[in-house]
Amino acid sequence: MSQYKIIFTGPVGAGKTTAIESISDIPPVKTDASASDMTKTKKSSTTVAMDYGIMNLTGGEKIHLYGTPGQERFDFMWDILTTGGIGLILLLDNTRADPFQDMKFFLDSFQKFIAETNVAIGVTQMDLSNKPTIDDYHIQLQGIGINPPVFSVDARVKNDVSLLVQSLLYSLDPEIEA
Amino acid sequence: MKDKSKSPLKVALHGMDGRTNKMMVMYLQGPCKGAAAVVEDLNAEIDIIDADSLEAKTLLERKLAESAKPIIALSLQELTFENILYVKKPVKVDDMLFALSEAAAILSVKKRSSNHVNSNMENTAIRQSQSLIPKTENVLPSVKDQVKKLTTDEQKKTSKHQTAMQLDEGKFNSYIGSIPGLDVNDPKQFTAATYNPKQYFQGYVQSALMVAEAKKQVMCLNSSWKPLIIFPHNYEIWLDADDKQLRAFASVVMNKISVPAITLTPVESATSSIQKDLEKFHSKDAFLWKLAAWTSKGRYPDALDIHRPVFLKHWPNFTRLVITPHALRIAALLIASPRTLPEIADILKIKPQYVFVFISAAYALGLIGQAKRKADEIIQPSAIKKSEQQGLLNRIIGKLSLNKS
Ligand SMILES: Nc1nc2c(ncn2[C@@H]2O[C@H](COP(=O)(O)OP(=O)(O)O)[C@@H](O)[C@H]2O)c(=O)[nH]1
Ligand SMILES: [Mg+2]
Repeated sequence: MSQYKIIFTGPVGAGKTTAIESISDIPPVKTDASASDMTKTKKSSTTVAMDYGIMNLTGGEKIHLYGTPGQERFDFMWDILTTGGIGLILLLDNTRADPFQDMKFFLDSFQKFIAETNVAIGVTQMDLSNKPTIDDYHIQLQGIGINPPVFSVDARVKNDVSLLVQSLLYSLDPEIEA
Repeated sequence: MKDKSKSPLKVALHGMDGRTNKMMVMYLQGPCKGAAAVVEDLNAEIDIIDADSLEAKTLLERKLAESAKPIIALSLQELTFENILYVKKPVKVDDMLFALSEAAAILSVKKRSSNHVNSNMENTAIRQSQSLIPKTENVLPSVKDQVKKLTTDEQKKTSKHQTAMQLDEGKFNSYIGSIPGLDVNDPKQFTAATYNPKQYFQGYVQSALMVAEAKKQVMCLNSSWKPLIIFPHNYEIWLDADDKQLRAFASVVMNKISVPAITLTPVESATSSIQKDLEKFHSKDAFLWKLAAWTSKGRYPDALDIHRPVFLKHWPNFTRLVITPHALRIAALLIASPRTLPEIADILKIKPQYVFVFISAAYALGLIGQAKRKADEIIQPSAIKKSEQQGLLNRIIGKLSLNKS
């Protein structure tokens, strides 16, 4: 059976684990490393390894949801991870020092994958920091030369995550129907 | 000892970007032990200004001229303005608390002279709490840790952060409505299926938004209906009305009687009820989006030519908008290439009313453009890339839609 994947990426704390949890049919597998393995952050269950969840489709197909580790040292895994992927969900934390820098870093890291598939961007924690605005992100993206969906997303809210994934799928093909 | 019953001083922040702003909120709440809390400008007792910001000079001049609030200026340089309390950057807790206590003293003198109530207590409380706080300069890491625990004013603006409401075809008529005697879905009536936003409340709201944004000034739009307040700095609108009431007013054609009653006035000091009713804040875009949808009732703006392709500048922020039927598909199609409105309906095999209502809402947000030059129309839109995985994508969408909770 084919392996279909949707990849969730973004910096630590952006909401990848939470987002996968929101739409997965199985309790997500969190493969977080132990606290001793964590570098500077004090957060006890932030992603340093992979998240994994499944969406079961009618007819028995499964969509595998993978969350990438936020750390740059996992660079080498990203290529393996994206093989067979149908698209990328990039989550950005609006309270971070420079979310545009984060965006550029991840778009750059996944450039090849994005060119072959598509990307949809979710900006989280906008309830904590209302700036930059979604329009500001679009202005940045203009400079980069891509025009993907950018939504405010609360990773804890299933409808937000679901709409973001839908926008990714419709970007791949607007004619698909519910 | 710190007096827990004492409420914090209300301060407004100026000349700071989002990030600095948030940092300051945390700083006052954390290291400064809640001696002051950041509130909306209009409800503040004290102004804190970043005097090194680009707009600092104008800000200071304006604040000195128009308000009697004590001002605390943060700067890298030594400042010696009269009537301004100065705190040197990088800001230290002791300095900040001292400036706040000075400001509180000014306030209490003012209060005393106005109502003879001795509120000197406030002042003492701060001075006392000061001694409890260890001298720390490098407070930033602990501040960052607290980010997610605090409830900010922003979080209390619940309508702004509510997830999207999705309308399916069945809900269209009851929620969006139609114009009696007009069948917008009949191609023969397409040319008549237009509306002019300027004839409705929508047009007045849009003009008011433009003025408020140009002047960077809080403005109130008064009409025969409810006052609508525009906060251009945060892209917010405040209105005390539910969707049903707004929907009803949206469809009223403005006439000779109602128009003279419409005025736009600057707001210098809003009532505190506004500041308390945080859930009545709407994001400008979400508000305008639904107002346009309800004004359109399935028609499209008369400024658009139905025979010319339209393009979508970028995806709307769908998670915070009312999602009309097939809106995501229409957006995806238009991002790929420009299309005429009937083409969109044809390709997606949907009723034109769903296209028109989406276009009206996106047009109100400035997201829709139309090729003006003939040259733009010469190129045939690319055939849609039919995904080999269409069946699979269908099933995922089906699953996600089923899962709506
Ligand atoms: N306030 C707020 N918290 C959020 C939002 N999105 C996610 N979170 C929280 O952010 C924290 C970090 O999320 P997590 O999924 O662990 O991030 P990860 O490191 O990318 O896997 C969790 O406590 C989430 O509940 C949001 O939009 N607003
Ligand atoms: Mg995680």
